[in-house]
Amino acid sequence: MNMKKFVAFLLIFTLSLSLVACGKSEQKESSDDSSTPVEETKDKPFEGTTLSVLLAYGGAENSFDKFTEETGIKVEYLEMSTGAALAKLQAEDGKTEADIWFGGGVDSYLNARDLGYLEAYKSPNASAINPQYNDKDGYYSGLALVPAGWIVNEDLLKEKGLEAPKTWEDLADPKYKGEVIMADPSISGTNYAIVSGLIQAWGEEKAWDYFERLNKNIDFFAKGGGEPLEKVAAGEFAIGIVAITGGTYSVGETSPTSVVYPEDVIPWTPAPIAIFKNTKNLEAAKVFVDWYLSKEGQEVLREADARIMARDDVDAPELMKDLDKSKLIDFNLELMGSQRDEILARWKELVGEK
Amino acid sequence: MKSNITNEERANLALSFDSILDKFIFWIVVISLLLFILYPVVMVISTSFFYRGTFTLDNYKNLLNSNNLKLIKDSLFVASISSILSTIFSFCIALFTFVERKKIKKLIYRALMLSMISPPFVSSLALIILFGRRGIITHNLLGLSVNPYGWQGIVLLQTLGGIPLSSIMLISALHSIDTRQILASRDLGATTTQTIKNIVIPAIFPTILSVLFLSFTMNLADFGTPIIIGGKFKMLATETYMTIFSSGDLGKAAAMSILLIPPAILSFVFYRKNITNIDNRATGTKALGSENYDFQLPIWLKFVLTFITVSFFIIVVLKYGSIILSAFSINTSGKLTFTLKHFEEVKFAYTPAFLRSIIFAVIAGFVSSVIGILLSYYTHRRKIKGMSFIEFVSALPYIIPGIFFGLGYIVGFNKEPLLLTGTTAIVILNSTFRHISVANKATNAAFTTIDTRIEDASRDLGASKFKTITNIIFPLLRPVFLTSFINTFTACMTTVGAIIFLVSPKNVVASIVMFKNITNGQYGPASVMASILILITVSVNLIAIKLLNTKEMY
Repeated sequence: MNMKKFVAFLLIFTLSLSLVACGKSEQKESSDDSSTPVEETKDKPFEGTTLSVLLAYGGAENSFDKFTEETGIKVEYLEMSTGAALAKLQAEDGKTEADIWFGGGVDSYLNARDLGYLEAYKSPNASAINPQYNDKDGYYSGLALVPAGWIVNEDLLKEKGLEAPKTWEDLADPKYKGEVIMADPSISGTNYAIVSGLIQAWGEEKAWDYFERLNKNIDFFAKGGGEPLEKVAAGEFAIGIVAITGGTYSVGETSPTSVVYPEDVIPWTPAPIAIFKNTKNLEAAKVFVDWYLSKEGQEVLREADARIMARDDVDAPELMKDLDKSKLIDFNLELMGSQRDEILARWKELVGEK
Repeated sequence: MKSNITNEERANLALSFDSILDKFIFWIVVISLLLFILYPVVMVISTSFFYRGTFTLDNYKNLLNSNNLKLIKDSLFVASISSILSTIFSFCIALFTFVERKKIKKLIYRALMLSMISPPFVSSLALIILFGRRGIITHNLLGLSVNPYGWQGIVLLQTLGGIPLSSIMLISALHSIDTRQILASRDLGATTTQTIKNIVIPAIFPTILSVLFLSFTMNLADFGTPIIIGGKFKMLATETYMTIFSSGDLGKAAAMSILLIPPAILSFVFYRKNITNIDNRATGTKALGSENYDFQLPIWLKFVLTFITVSFFIIVVLKYGSIILSAFSINTSGKLTFTLKHFEEVKFAYTPAFLRSIIFAVIAGFVSSVIGILLSYYTHRRKIKGMSFIEFVSALPYIIPGIFFGLGYIVGFNKEPLLLTGTTAIVILNSTFRHISVANKATNAAFTTIDTRIEDASRDLGASKFKTITNIIFPLLRPVFLTSFINTFTACMTTVGAIIFLVSPKNVVASIVMFKNITNGQYGPASVMASILILITVSVNLIAIKLLNTKEMY
């Protein structure tokens, strides 16, 4: 008999919960709105403000505490790949709750800019950054540089009696057949940047001829930029074409992998930062961008995740000392953005169903 | 005379209050399903008709091109094979359990409950580690170098993934067969195999259909498995998913996801037709008989069933084993070193995320089970007109890929008066309404074995409709409630796809944090999180089993 009462109680409890849940959250929302600056001091004018960050920069969350300490601005973040974030922005029609977009694929930023979701802001600190990394109208700025390279599984190479490739040309050598994995460039922004970068570096003819040969070594294209790393770490493939960040190195702590930079040319993308047009905390968001583009902010961010920072006056992290910056491709991001459809169509024709 | 009238009046009064309550509950079920399933689905699909605010049919012009038709064909092929295989294996496991001793029954049942816990990506990763090109089993033990990437890999993973829920539904159904029928069959000289063929299978046929339909739609809409293990082989759900991420083209992706709906409608119609046929046939069966009867399987059958069951559990143990092992160890160049380092990396900062996960999943589990059961009741017991449409609506979230169900909530609930984006409620509502179909299908199957006369008797004895629901329907459906609660709870604890767009910094849940660890290549901490998720889910499921006291199920 107790059972009946229990079930009846559950029924009523749950149904009412579903109603209460709606009411509760609205209350919560309104209380959030009132959390505008409480105290105004001179050096921390935005003390008490909370900025909401969409994050696609592994490890960067470790730098937020320092920022909060310096400025009094609190940071909440949500990790989301830039492709997913762009889909979300479209679904919300740009009315996002987030204030800042932090890191990720620059092609999504270009897209979002064209859809009118971003706020133009030229930080005074942006002048210290190579203009190649920034949007010319200030819709985004470059935080760091993400070079492309390879992650190799040493065990597998040893087992097959192979050496790690040294140049892109090596990678297309038939001896690596079936051992190379790369993400589909139509899905992964970084991998598209690699394709586009090589075209810009070598010219159309040479690049497409190369892709045709490289394609023969690739069994199938991964469905996400993070997958080649996983598969190489798991020993499924010997060589993965990846974007290199601190995270790429840390995989080596638990699996027999190491990071290799191509010796001929190194494609790259900037890890950008942008402010959303829909932000309600524009001034605080500007403080945020300024801080991360300052020398101090850049150094803090480098400690949080080892990357080559956008500012020239910030040294490369210890991990990446062996990266030869002169090998970086002279990369035109605008061209990369405008040629996307054309390049990907030709790419699809080349690789077919893979 | 006088007192008679007052009694009748009182009864009428009570009745009218009761029917108001009954109507109220009915409309809550209907409206909530329309608002939280149909509306967001319609909204996300409607994005395919607009390009930057203007109406267009561009997305539909080339929808049925040869490329997409091939995708449909391939998807139907894989989804059919996986769902048929997993139903067959589940039936074997269920039958094995059915004839076993009580202790073993209990053990298998609980083990199945636990094996439903399958954190996404981690499981696939574990299976790649076991069966991949350099898998521990395929490569190290058997010396093979198999290539798991292709449709065979998808079928393997989907089949394994579908077995726990399907087996549980089938075991519940087997135990609600009137054992006297089996006894009668045996007494009349039928062999065990004949009894299985003529009594057991027909009796649980509705459940077999439910299981088949559920796993077919789930497999059709599954994008996670093909993405990881599909290799060159492409499926419709994966392609729609990638259209979002590759071209950022929500409209085109939404149009493609529509292609998933016709096959699902067809299978739904087939399912409905068969289940109602049987509805009319089975009128008086509910397990009442004794438990001690002779039901020995022939040796060869027993051997096959044991082999399938044992193999399945070995794979499950290996899967969990490899997750837990990687939580406690570092594997460099084939050398395993045990360590607690990963636990240090999983900071206490994640505690709120775990707590939120539990709370959200418990609420979603309860509400979706209750609504699913009520939906079934109003559709199949009260046979209210138009309810079969509502029932189809409840299956929609299983038909379209989860990611669209999530996006639909954003498109649908980002404006006044339905402003829910960024709130906690939207995450819970989404998780709740995504899983109604399981409770609904499980209840439908159970109803076919529960005598309607029990309800009639209840009402004849003066119980109100509301009381019949609370005192008859729910207690009888306790095993169904438990299955559906555990399924939804488990799914919510581990889900990523549908809610990845709905969580905001304020309400991040554990599965999303774990997903982040995986995408950053931190498998150690990810395995720790997966192990904690598994532990929590196991504990809550065990509590649920205790609370709902399922002793009577056997």
